[in-house]
Amino acid sequence: MTTNLLGLFIVIPLATSVASVALVRRPGPQRILGVLSLGSMLALAVTWLLEVRDGDILVTQLGGWPAPYGITLVFDSLSGLLLCAALVVALACYVHGFSSLDPHAERRYYHPLLQMLMLGITQSFLTGDLFNLFVAFEIMLMASYGLLSIGRSRRQMTQAYKYLVLNLVASTVFVIAAGLVYGMMGTLNIADLARIVAGHTAAGTPLPDGFTGLSVLLLIVFGVKGAFFPLWFWLPDTYHTCPVPIAALFSGLLTKVGVYAVLRTFPLVFAAGDAGDVVLPVIAVSAAATMLLGVLGAVSQHQVRRILAIHVISQVGYMVLGVALMTTAALAGALYYMIQHMVVKSSLLLCCGVMEHHAGSDDLDRIGGLHRRDRLLGAGFFVAALSLAGLPPLSGFFGKAVLIRDAWSTHWWLAAAALLTGLLTLVSMLKIWTQGFWLPAAAPVTPRPRPGGLTGAYTGIFVLVALAVLLGLAAQPVYDVATQAAAQLIDPSAYIEAVGPRSITRLAGGG
Amino acid sequence: MTAVLAVCVTVLVTVSVYLMLSRELKSIAMGVFLLGHGAHLAIIAMSGSPILPDGSLRRPPILGGEHLVDPLPQALILTAIVINFAVMGFLLTLLITTARGTGTLNVDELATRDTSRPSREMGGGEPVEGDPS
Repeated sequence: MTTNLLGLFIVIPLATSVASVALVRRPGPQRILGVLSLGSMLALAVTWLLEVRDGDILVTQLGGWPAPYGITLVFDSLSGLLLCAALVVALACYVHGFSSLDPHAERRYYHPLLQMLMLGITQSFLTGDLFNLFVAFEIMLMASYGLLSIGRSRRQMTQAYKYLVLNLVASTVFVIAAGLVYGMMGTLNIADLARIVAGHTAAGTPLPDGFTGLSVLLLIVFGVKGAFFPLWFWLPDTYHTCPVPIAALFSGLLTKVGVYAVLRTFPLVFAAGDAGDVVLPVIAVSAAATMLLGVLGAVSQHQVRRILAIHVISQVGYMVLGVALMTTAALAGALYYMIQHMVVKSSLLLCCGVMEHHAGSDDLDRIGGLHRRDRLLGAGFFVAALSLAGLPPLSGFFGKAVLIRDAWSTHWWLAAAALLTGLLTLVSMLKIWTQGFWLPAAAPVTPRPRPGGLTGAYTGIFVLVALAVLLGLAAQPVYDVATQAAAQLIDPSAYIEAVGPRSITRLAGGG
Repeated sequence: MTAVLAVCVTVLVTVSVYLMLSRELKSIAMGVFLLGHGAHLAIIAMSGSPILPDGSLRRPPILGGEHLVDPLPQALILTAIVINFAVMGFLLTLLITTARGTGTLNVDELATRDTSRPSREMGGGEPVEGDPS
């Protein structure tokens, strides 16, 4: 179905961002604007998700140019689910920031940058064009560079370089890859690419030479963004240096955009034919290594934030596992796991913010006894931690159960790695729980109170924890939508038909 | 023509990798910029050669030509250049801020100072062994 309203996901954050710049000295109105912007986008996303859950696909051709000439925005179940999850997480982190963010940092263009970050993220989820995906990545990354260096502490500055330079190199490789895709296939529209690839598969003709190389190149690019093994080394040092709401937002959303890009482009286009024979085993090995090495790294840490940040890597492995298996059930499992992980991981990091508030530190050797001090926080953290570890009936269980069941018959070693990872995740979560909440502190703790009170912080945490529980209890309806999104990835005909790319003859040959 | 572009891209990427392997943040930044230029030139090659097989040049219709060079890669590059320019601005600002705050742009020195003095302001902690200042 064609609609023009998907453009609102560009207009709303952009307009809010500009208005926030004008109001930069007045945090109050900026906060109201920000909540309004995120809230209205969430409302739109939920409305449209309900509309597309039966397999409909909403398409906006920007400027009225038909695909593949113009830029296409596509809202299908895959984009819709991720968009809703991303906006809920962003809203919760944003509200949490009202009470935990340093007022000085807040005046440093925090609000406009956050809106731009959301613009980049929504665009990445919606775009139906490979080059526009690059542009969306860049918008998101530019905003994240800004947010990362907010406050300008020394540690942040030196860590920002690692993130910045690595992502710049990855983006440059993305530009080259996009150029090569255009040179080889004559189009950058994902639906058009899928059509061409499907045509080759149906006719039994081989794909152009070098297509496999392109797939690998794009896998590297998305691997850096999504922190797959062995490209994850930038992540642990980056996420734990910035303020808590920003760290929660980053760990909830940024890596997922990389995983989304793989989830969108590989089943549709880049895992076809010979390329799939090369890329899928690589993804499988990378998934196992990401899961295991990530969780081992997390077990060895003693700071709550570092543990949680490194866990992001390990759980990216589960999502990549779904892509490696490339079946409808596995992709649906990966998608469900992604959604619940966004929610749970952000809520854990927000909890960590309140822990730092109470204990003045996040070092497990120094803090303790937080359960007696704040039972509400203890309960929230406990539920979220068990959900992350994947205990039934919490949400993490259902994602893992589907993935492991699907992996068991074809790649038993992947399933074994996933089970072992789950166990070690539980160990490290219980470590935080015992040492941080249960056992008394080794030394008297010094609270680090924040000026704004804790109302916003608790609101953010409990919205997300409630959602994590709800995702577990109401797993079936969410799974139905996820399964349908996965079916559309495995059989792209509906997607191609909805976008409706015309066949074009290229103006000039390769040269 | 494509061969010339290929040589240019190779040289640019080689130089940029060499620069990025340095321990000096300034050189790393220069390497990143050059890599961007290399990428843009590589995309130019996707437009196809401007010389037709019979030796004549492709020209736009306004100059009486019949065969165009594919303009889309150039539009892509234009976008990429703008983005690269913005990122370059940010990176240079970050470099200046770091240099003002720490007095060095060497990665090793930044790392050692970082671990020895976790405080955010200059001159906070006591001088520690291994701190070159």
